[in-house]
Amino acid sequence: MVLKIFFPQCCNRADSGLLVGRWIAGHDSAVVLAVIHYPFIPGQVKQYIQQMQAQSGVELSVLGSWSLPKEGQEGLESFLRDLSTIFPQERWLQISRQMGKTGFTCEVLSRDQTGGSARRSNEAEAKKESKDGGDGEEEAEEKVIFVHYEQRKVMLSQLHPIANENPENKSEPSTELREMFQTVAHSQPLFFLDKYDDGLLKSTHWQSEGREASIIVELMKQASVPLCIFISWLLSVWTWTCNIWIFSVFPLCFLSSILSTFIQLSYRTEHMRTLSSPKSAEGHTQFMRKANILVSVLVDVALGVFLMSWLYRDDHISMLADALVPAADHVAQQLEELLQWLMGAPAGLKMNRALDQVLGRFFLYHIHLWISYIHLMAPFIEGILWYGGLSACFGLTFALSLLSDMVALFTFHIYCFYVYGARLYCLKIYGLSSLWRLFRGKKWNVLRQRVDSCSYDLDQLFIGTLLLTILLFLLPTTALYYLVFTLLRLVIVLFQGILHLSVDFINSFPLFAAGLRVCRSYRLAEGVKFRVLCEEPGTALHLLMEINPLKFSSVVRTYRTPTYSCYPKDSWAALVKKLFIGELIYPWRHKTTKTD
Amino acid sequence: MGADGAPSQSVPWRKVLWERQPFPDNYVDQRFLEELRRNEGIREYRYWAVVKEASLVGQQLSCVAIFITFWLYMEQGLLAPETLLWTSLVCGLLGYGLYQAFTSQTDSCSETRTHLADLQSAALFLSFTFGFSPVLKTLTESVSTDTVYAMSAVMLLAHLVSFPYGEPSPPGSLSLNAALFASVCLASRLPGALHTFAMLSCALLVFALWPCLLQRLRENSPLQFTGVCVGVCTGGVGGLASQSLGGAVLLSLAVVSVTFLCPLLLVWLQRHKDNIHGPWDEAEICEDLSHFLH
Repeated sequence: MVLKIFFPQCCNRADSGLLVGRWIAGHDSAVVLAVIHYPFIPGQVKQYIQQMQAQSGVELSVLGSWSLPKEGQEGLESFLRDLSTIFPQERWLQISRQMGKTGFTCEVLSRDQTGGSARRSNEAEAKKESKDGGDGEEEAEEKVIFVHYEQRKVMLSQLHPIANENPENKSEPSTELREMFQTVAHSQPLFFLDKYDDGLLKSTHWQSEGREASIIVELMKQASVPLCIFISWLLSVWTWTCNIWIFSVFPLCFLSSILSTFIQLSYRTEHMRTLSSPKSAEGHTQFMRKANILVSVLVDVALGVFLMSWLYRDDHISMLADALVPAADHVAQQLEELLQWLMGAPAGLKMNRALDQVLGRFFLYHIHLWISYIHLMAPFIEGILWYGGLSACFGLTFALSLLSDMVALFTFHIYCFYVYGARLYCLKIYGLSSLWRLFRGKKWNVLRQRVDSCSYDLDQLFIGTLLLTILLFLLPTTALYYLVFTLLRLVIVLFQGILHLSVDFINSFPLFAAGLRVCRSYRLAEGVKFRVLCEEPGTALHLLMEINPLKFSSVVRTYRTPTYSCYPKDSWAALVKKLFIGELIYPWRHKTTKTD
Repeated sequence: MGADGAPSQSVPWRKVLWERQPFPDNYVDQRFLEELRRNEGIREYRYWAVVKEASLVGQQLSCVAIFITFWLYMEQGLLAPETLLWTSLVCGLLGYGLYQAFTSQTDSCSETRTHLADLQSAALFLSFTFGFSPVLKTLTESVSTDTVYAMSAVMLLAHLVSFPYGEPSPPGSLSLNAALFASVCLASRLPGALHTFAMLSCALLVFALWPCLLQRLRENSPLQFTGVCVGVCTGGVGGLASQSLGGAVLLSLAVVSVTFLCPLLLVWLQRHKDNIHGPWDEAEICEDLSHFLH
């Protein structure tokens, strides 16, 4: 049996006293949390420990004694040994350290059922130890391993489950470690007692030098409460405004589910509601979520203000507005040229001339309509941009969403072309597939979901074949128009997709967790590693426990804020299939809007 | 041919593999093939009966040739579309009368179409074809002529291959559709919309309605059926001869070989037929199972 003693590094040089800590049930290990120095009154110690136990919920107990004899403090040995009768325990650890030596000596005294304590360690060994000068040597039946840990880091760190391939192998030590981490984290009340307290007990632990405090942090804590109340009041007003019946009438409701600015707005409202909730965060995950949201909102607003300062300096807005109308004109002109090309013999393809002319003229007329609309809008564009730019003060994400919406509105004609082309093409494909079945004398059985043979009438066959021939010969023309407009649409969808992805990235990236990982890497632990401190034959093994920081990928995976994720709705194969049969594609549609 | 001979008299040989017997592995008895039967239930073909049946194939070949002849005439402008339309109308009415006459002769009153339904179908054909003929005319404008010809040839071949020669009355979907596709392709090459319309009406008559009438004819008066077949074959060959002599020669060769040579070959090869039956055949259920139901 190996007895593991987790020993805080800060207690290495503590004065002699009692070890307070916890035996971890089920595992042969003990966690030392603090050292209580004498002089003390045993009754007070017992009372203090009970009080701490009630506050922290950790089964604290006196583990044993600690002695670091200084000059002029001799003869404590026997006193410390007698202490074990005052604090009756199953096992009594007696750890002692000589000044100037690295190793500790540990003796384990176990209590018999009769109640009297007896030394289980070998007398001969003890003699030898004293003869050798007691160099931290212990050859008991029970081997002892000292694991030194940094108490502050362990207390603050959050142990994450290891994403290992074979978790069964690691399960037992990880639970022991987990219990150890929890014990240290939960026994915070124990650490409130510091050196400058004029209580009856003095103890050593990580904070014994004096409690850490910052005036700024305290002030912010005080100020945050009224701020939260104010924000939640604003939010309730905003929600009330949103719920007025005029917003649930069809066109507005539809618009707000389509425009990404509105979606971002609702999403941000949700964020603020989470942030301003008066309850404090329960548990680590909730806290991290809140902190992540806060940091990302702050960063977002900072970026937005930065953008705004650039926009409103040197009249950039009017420059943009002046450039916008010529750009739209240019796009329309390019489209017209494309249509003229398609109406000829594009790429040497032989198209049906009549259908080609009809489609081309139809689309040309559409472009003409669009251009006149843009020119009608031209005087107002600068105003729209000016007021739209103000939205950047809410954050960069708002500006990006607005940009995405504006791109969608300015390329509405391309979207229309795409829809016309896709509908026409889809009609042809479906018609051709069913008429091809008729051509072979088959039909689609809806009930059994299969192709059955069927005997058609003469007139059905005749008209079906006539239509099949017409559709077949007109297919290449339609398919070409569909292809060209689908490519144009895909370019725009790609651009909007990049915008949406960046908005989503800003919204959901766990900035706070990433910052913690960079600056305080011990806060997010994935496991521990041990380094051998001193290993001499015949000495107890001394290990230093260091915290393994969580990997960046798992930081992002664990703490990513759950958002409406605008990932592609379909897999690539499904997308290609949809493109092939001419179904309309909205690959960047948000998940939240899919529910309506 | 037992190796030892002696045990063969005492133990009779059995045709089983699962039992150890005192014979070599390759031993067979006299009774080994006594259950073999040859050519069971074979039909003896008679030459002229086969020729009569095969004349339907030759007739269908000639029908395709007649259609192509019409198209050639139309394309060269030798045949006015009005003429073809009137001829088709007269032929159609005549055929319809004949069809009705044959239908009243036979007592199959189970599913007779009313005259109104026939009229409806005819109106549908004519209106659709007339409405679509301008579209059809521009359909293959940009497709090269060779492609159109190749497509038509393949489709007509498909029509001939998939034609239900045994029972042509409800026309097979694939054969009719292929023929109509080919005729639409060919008709779209003609100079005017009316030409297209006339050509499609003609195709409807030749490929869709004629086989129905022919089937009735075959059922009711076999003698006249033969006469009609001969008439159609001569018409096809003669019509093609007026346009291209080589085509006519080829067609006549094809008709003669299909109608006379192939039946001859069939009857001659009948002697070499050698089907073997025996207890190794899979089971055939030939008994009437209805008595199990009671």
